Amino acid sequence: MENKPGALARVVGLFHQRGYNIDSLHVDPITDFSPYSFIEKELSITFKTDEISRLTIETTVSDSLMRQILRQINKLIEVLAVSNEKSTYLKGVLRDENLLR
Amino acid sequence: MKLAGNDMLIQSLINEGVEFIFGYPGGAALHIYDAIFNQSEIQHILVRHEQAATHAADGYTRATGKVGVVLVTSGPGATNAITGIATAFMDSIPMIVISGQVQSHLIGTDAFQETDMIGISRPIVKHSFTVESQESIPRIVKEAFFIATSGRPGPVVIDVPKDLTHPDFKFDFEYPKEAKIRSYNPPILPLEDQVKRAVEAILEAKQPVIYAGGGTISSNASNELIKFQKLTNAPVTNTLMGLGVFPATNKYFMGMLGMHGTYQANMAMHNADLIIAVGARFDDRITNTPEKFAPKAKIIHLDVDHSSVSKIIEADVAVFGQVKESLSAINKLLEASESQCQDLSAWHEQIQEWRSKHGLNHNLFKNKDDEHPILPQAAVQHIYQASEGKAFVTSDVGQHQMFTAQYYHFDEPRKWINSGGLGTMGFGLPSAMGAKLAFPEEEVICITGEGSIQMCIQELSTCAQYKLPIKIFNINNLALGMVKQWQDMNYDGRHSSISYEDSLPDFVKLAESFGHVGIKITKNSQLQDGIEEALSYKDKLVFVDIYVDPDEHVYPMLVAPEGSMKDMWLDKDLKT
Repeated sequence: MENKPGALARVVGLFHQRGYNIDSLHVDPITDFSPYSFIEKELSITFKTDEISRLTIETTVSDSLMRQILRQINKLIEVLAVSNEKSTYLKGVLRDENLLR
Repeated sequence: MKLAGNDMLIQSLINEGVEFIFGYPGGAALHIYDAIFNQSEIQHILVRHEQAATHAADGYTRATGKVGVVLVTSGPGATNAITGIATAFMDSIPMIVISGQVQSHLIGTDAFQETDMIGISRPIVKHSFTVESQESIPRIVKEAFFIATSGRPGPVVIDVPKDLTHPDFKFDFEYPKEAKIRSYNPPILPLEDQVKRAVEAILEAKQPVIYAGGGTISSNASNELIKFQKLTNAPVTNTLMGLGVFPATNKYFMGMLGMHGTYQANMAMHNADLIIAVGARFDDRITNTPEKFAPKAKIIHLDVDHSSVSKIIEADVAVFGQVKESLSAINKLLEASESQCQDLSAWHEQIQEWRSKHGLNHNLFKNKDDEHPILPQAAVQHIYQASEGKAFVTSDVGQHQMFTAQYYHFDEPRKWINSGGLGTMGFGLPSAMGAKLAFPEEEVICITGEGSIQMCIQELSTCAQYKLPIKIFNINNLALGMVKQWQDMNYDGRHSSISYEDSLPDFVKLAESFGHVGIKITKNSQLQDGIEEALSYKDKLVFVDIYVDPDEHVYPMLVAPEGSMKDMWLDKDLKT
């Protein structure tokens, strides 16, 4: 997500608002962009240092709720991409239709 | 051009084509108000309470499709706006709310009239901005309008510290031509494969239902929906938010569905083999118990918002994109298709049978008998007749809202303006102000109740100031009718805290004290004449206080908990 004031609060607030639980949470600015080059490619953008944060959240939920959480997070304006071990959602880019059903 | 922050803000709004700002001044917003004073392109509408500013902007938006703008000061100004922001958010209504904030160096010090507006509004906005420099104001306004109106629309808050609107500090002003936000890119066109799969399912269906909601209106897709119905010949039902998007007087229209939907609409949904959801979100007032929802139906879901699809009811085919574009694509493929839709005559006969068995009685207005009290349904039918079904109608929340949804037949989108998602009492009068300002030549009617109207009744003063000849019909049953109905049905008639009969104002005198006209109706024989008289005043606000049967309930009503859509109360002692 964009490394902007308030962005973290939106994600954390979303979990509370929708009744999802957070088991653990870690956030830091991304310095090595190499694992995220697919985002740059898909969205036709170039990341600069300190512009982007990676937020890692652990939660324990059913598969259907997990899908709902990913979609809700992806809807936040400052989030660029969200993924779990199975799926990746990118802003406005429909990659795999099975994920999106 | 060099401008100070306050002028930049107002000039940005002018560049966006804003006609009205609905607001209320105060300390932190004073520089902005000075900028409003120094221009003539935008008219400021001074309300009497900030909640009304948000509802008025909301009503303006629902009536026109253009974005309503609200301006409030910090602290209580901001918090008073919250109910209206939440109302817009729940119904996906675009809105720009500009809130003054204390000076930057005072933020976090518990300064006078300081409140964390961004924090308080976070769960009920699509997005929000804190202005951190004067130079960013034009970009933020541009982005705010883009976010509010694109994708699934919603309210956007811009919080502006007072020092950043100070008139002494000027900066280069250039309004951006477009907003580009790399992390925001809502879908517009649906995927071909999704459209193809939707059409395949439609061609197979023998008992299809088109279930269209508010998203169809916000996407301006009424014509595409009407064409889609013609191509498929399928029956149509609308949600409370969708009323008007398909003509209510069309013979394929089954009426509203859901909690207080018609018998035929709910039965058709329950028995359908295909439900085509168009800009609707399967909320709990529609589905009843989700596990028992439409057991035989395949679901096609057209929506612009990924997170609305398969949230409550799993979709078999999802079509993501602007509803207008998705419907167009489906229509195109249907027209090009070599196979025909199934013959639906047996399905239409079945629906007609349901309609004749337990459909709503639309002839109650014919009763002129003064031995019985006025039925609220008959009052709405008279209002429908007298306004020839052409008025903008706003409502508040409760029984009168449901009666209006059931008995006022909306043939066009954007004519029916009500708070569906949040269910906000107090919405009716201010939203009517917004609609009337947008369409001064059109009839604007507010159908309300004596409970709801008192939640924003101070706006009678605003209506006097700006000469807004709204027609208010107060369906007066001397109590909080919908709460009373639930207490009758679920609490053995224990009427807890729903009555204020002895302390109601004389609404006629109250209206007259603001210079408006008041009319009181207590008998069936006065109903038609009274309503027609009210509508005959072209330049006056008229408050019509209609005393109705206090014991009337809204039916049909879905049986909950544990019920499905076929389980309905049809009368006080009649259940399906």
